[in-house]
Amino acid sequence: MTAPTEKPAPNRREFLALSGATAGAASLGMAAWGQNFVEVDVDAITNTDFATDVLVIGGGMAGLFAAVKAHDAGASTMIVSKGRLGSSGLTPFGKGFFVFDTDVETDTIDDFVDTVSRSALGTSNPAYTRQMAEHSMARAADLREWGYFDQTLSNRPFMKPIEDRDIPLLERVHVTHLIKEDGKIAGAAGFRNDAEETVTIRAKSVILCTGAGGFKPNGFPLGDLTHDGTIMAYEIGAKVTGKEWNDGHMTRSDNPAACYDGWGDMFERVPSTNGVEVHHDLGVDLNYTAYMTGNPVAGGPGAQPSDGDTIEVEGGPQTPEEFQRDFGAPGGDGEGGGPSSGEGGAPGAPPPGFEPSANVGGASAGMAIHKSEGLVPFDDRCASNIAGLYAAGDALGSHMSGGIYTQVGSSLTGSAVQGAIAGEAAAEYAETADTPVIQDVRISEIVDEILAPLRLDAGYGPAWVTQTLQGIMIPNFVLYIKKASMMTAALAYVEELRDHHVPMLRAANMHELRLAHETRNMILSAEMKMRASLMRTESRGSHYRLDYPDMDDVNWRAWINIYQGTDGSMQLEKQPFDTWPT
Amino acid sequence: MKFSAQTYAILSALAVFVGLPLLFYALGDAPRRTLLKEGISLITLLAFTMMLGQFFLARSNETLLSLFKPLQIQKVHKVIAYSAITIIFVHPVLIVLPRYFEGGIKPWDAFVTLITDFGNPGIVLGLIAWVVMVVLGVTVFFRRKLIPHFKLKYRGWRYFHGGLAVAFTVLALWHSIALGRHTDLAMSVFFIILAILGFAMLAHMYWGVRSPKPKPVSKGATS
Amino acid sequence: MTIKSINGCIGCQECVKSCPCDVIRMEHGKAVIAYPADCQICHLCRMYCPVDAIEMSPEKSIPVIVPWG
Ligand SMILES: Cc1cc2nc3c(=O)[nH]c(=O)nc-3n(C[C@H](O)[C@H](O)[C@H](O)COP(=O)(O)OP(=O)(O)OC[C@H]3O[C@@H](n4cnc5c(N)ncnc54)[C@H](O)[C@@H]3O)c2cc1C
Ligand code: HEM
Ligand code: HEM
Ligand code: SF4
Ligand code: SF4
Repeated sequence: MTAPTEKPAPNRREFLALSGATAGAASLGMAAWGQNFVEVDVDAITNTDFATDVLVIGGGMAGLFAAVKAHDAGASTMIVSKGRLGSSGLTPFGKGFFVFDTDVETDTIDDFVDTVSRSALGTSNPAYTRQMAEHSMARAADLREWGYFDQTLSNRPFMKPIEDRDIPLLERVHVTHLIKEDGKIAGAAGFRNDAEETVTIRAKSVILCTGAGGFKPNGFPLGDLTHDGTIMAYEIGAKVTGKEWNDGHMTRSDNPAACYDGWGDMFERVPSTNGVEVHHDLGVDLNYTAYMTGNPVAGGPGAQPSDGDTIEVEGGPQTPEEFQRDFGAPGGDGEGGGPSSGEGGAPGAPPPGFEPSANVGGASAGMAIHKSEGLVPFDDRCASNIAGLYAAGDALGSHMSGGIYTQVGSSLTGSAVQGAIAGEAAAEYAETADTPVIQDVRISEIVDEILAPLRLDAGYGPAWVTQTLQGIMIPNFVLYIKKASMMTAALAYVEELRDHHVPMLRAANMHELRLAHETRNMILSAEMKMRASLMRTESRGSHYRLDYPDMDDVNWRAWINIYQGTDGSMQLEKQPFDTWPT
Repeated sequence: MKFSAQTYAILSALAVFVGLPLLFYALGDAPRRTLLKEGISLITLLAFTMMLGQFFLARSNETLLSLFKPLQIQKVHKVIAYSAITIIFVHPVLIVLPRYFEGGIKPWDAFVTLITDFGNPGIVLGLIAWVVMVVLGVTVFFRRKLIPHFKLKYRGWRYFHGGLAVAFTVLALWHSIALGRHTDLAMSVFFIILAILGFAMLAHMYWGVRSPKPKPVSKGATS
Repeated sequence: MTIKSINGCIGCQECVKSCPCDVIRMEHGKAVIAYPADCQICHLCRMYCPVDAIEMSPEKSIPVIVPWG
């Protein structure tokens, strides 16, 4: 990072007026390199310090259960989230909650776990699939009691157990750092969106429920998630997995950014439960069709079968025969439809109200299949390789569904179940753990790192860097229809952004400070994505390589773990399916 | 011609109290929403102009007195005022009602947030205005029981009623300017002009040079 | 452009809290669209607003990058 410098103090008022006048242009996100007209007095920013046994980071489905169950297990618990409880991350948009009701299902849980594994082509972790099914009814019962299935918006039902238990909740606090002392987790740090204030929280145990992330793509409500948790954990030595998988959501070609409109009435629906229905969904089939035949691709869910002359596309991602479905869409036969209702808000049906229209891909660019990416679990209780650090939900690479969407509605359930399990495990750990000691110098070092973008005299606008990254990563032939040459090229760009732009990300206010940190996380995620995709020299599930179109069971019955080497570089390793890391 | 003068008065009243608010509504640039929501906004706005109109449908309006019988005026005043009060009485509920038909916050939760948002001056003004309006409505309804109870003369009651009307109008006006989505500059100026004219006429009647007036035809009016 | 306008706001801050992307801020007791470029058009703000003050548009205020189409 460049050295902190004095900001141009004398003309603050003038600068404010100026930045007001240029706000129009700036808000277009187009400003690249430029002066940093800082709107806040960086030296006046204060730090508030908190302490707790268990710190839950994230206010989605996983964070809710982690906090409730850690508290109920006797630990003093606190939640911090960059958004509002139940109104941030992906949780507000998922509407179908899977339950394995033994009174209704004819098959056993063993059968279910096997079916998921077959659809996932071995990529699923059966321990987490099973656990999700076993606990699904109990979590649904909790949610029902809190009123979750009675209304569209989750904040009130989520607040109920939190208020009943008096669990402290910090909302709109963006966490940027995990703190590790003596090899053990010691807390976290971040800053407030609404106040010129940094926040440090000392904790015996931390549960990352920070969800997944993407490259702020258009057409999927993922704009607030940039894999923050994964990156923070990676930087203190945690292992990360699943980066080669792709979520293949599509959006409409007219107004592609309008996720609400693209999802029909989904966002306004009241959540409900659904039973067993295992698919092999949301791969990259339509991306392949688009790549081979040109754009845009008519079809996908809800699209009218076009008039006869559908184009047959040879090759491309394979769907196991058992799980092939026909949406009556072009490219149909065996190419096996496109996305379903998005992990199944509406079991078996395309997203309701999803107008027949031309589609474009990349709605969720940068995100993998839910639960396939995130921290590597070291046991079936959500532990990471760092003592005291747990992860749950979309932040944990549990491979609960594998590298493809399998059971409809299991993403919400998985977050709820894993949250609860991680909560209990963290509380148990905290019981015997010592209160962490963090040196003041360490705290002020971290605070300096957090505020660095505000101290730059000039630098790159985070919005511009983000758009540049999107331009590099989102093209179909980079992210979805992969081949070594393109990925190597993209990786070179990403490394340039990492080495040259990241240290010069500027921020004029607390909002831009958030964008700066998010941009940095996206760049590191992009690097992970390219490296893992390059390493997996086969095609499987949602990972498709044009230069390695077949599945390679001899070499690739393995997950890819990523960790930071001693020299700070990114290291990758294989972990065979059906094994736990050591 | 007396008849045409009356027609003329009615028509111009309609033009001012119905036509103008509709015009300002049409010219305003607040986004159009569903029929139900726009309908609710419109009846709220019209109810409010009708209330402002009551200052012109009283004895203070000498022009009107010369055209219509006081009893006629009183009757119309009552009918319109009661209807307008009824609409504004449920106006806070009407604001959250459309939520019943769509996803999103539940109407009851929205209502609670709305009426407990004491940090907002516009809401506080609205709440006080609403209470004053309810007091006004109740005192008018029970005026024949109340007048003797408080040993009021009929004139005293009228002062009380007029005073409440002024207080209520000031609060409601301020409230609607602070919050209203259709109460833009044009609509606000229109409301303010109506209110000032109304107040002026009342002041003129209470404190101005009093022209010798005929005694009311019947004391206290009919119910 | 994205979140389009706010009319009839009572300043309850529900939208500010409910916006995942920190698009809305309070100014003089009313909600203002501070950072429209970051709006993901998810309508949460609109759905949380008790008086339905927020008007949306499906159009994004900055150029949209898609992989194909
Ligand atoms: C449109 C859509 C439809 C879906 N439909 C379904 C469905 O029908 N059924 C189903 O099962 N699943 C569905 N899903 C998936 C499901 O919603 C998610 O898998 C699940 O909600 C993830 O929950 P989570 O708690 O793990 O993460 P999230 O809900 O993503 O929560 C992450 C939390 O972490 C916080 N956070 C992130 N970074 C930071 C930071 N740096 N500092 C502080 N806090 C941070 C965020 O504010 C947020 O509160 C759908 C998803 C979408 C987008
Ligand atoms: C919106 C609410 C109302 C407003 C703004 C309003 C306003 C006024 C005003 C300014 C006067 C003249 C005061 C005076 O003569 O000293 C008046 C008189 C009167 N009002 Fe109202 N009024 C309202 C509602 C009502 C209602 C609901 C009734 C129902 C009975 C009513 C009955 C009367 C009567 C009987 C008089 C006396 C008229 C007369 O003696 O000629 N008012 N009102
Ligand atoms: C006598 C009492 C009241 C009167 C006469 C009144 C009148 C009005 C008027 C004329 C508007 C403008 C409507 C528009 O511009 O479209 C308005 C808006 C509003 N009023 Fe009231 N009001 C009253 C009481 C209240 C109360 C008690 C509340 C709730 C606590 C309330 C809440 C609101 C809100 C939230 C708006 C803005 C919403 C919108 O414009 O759609 N009002 N009111
Ligand atoms: S639509 Fe979503 S992202 Fe846009 S302002 Fe509203 S809540 Fe924020
Ligand atoms: S939620 Fe609605 S009323 Fe409340 S501050 Fe936002 S726009 Fe205003």
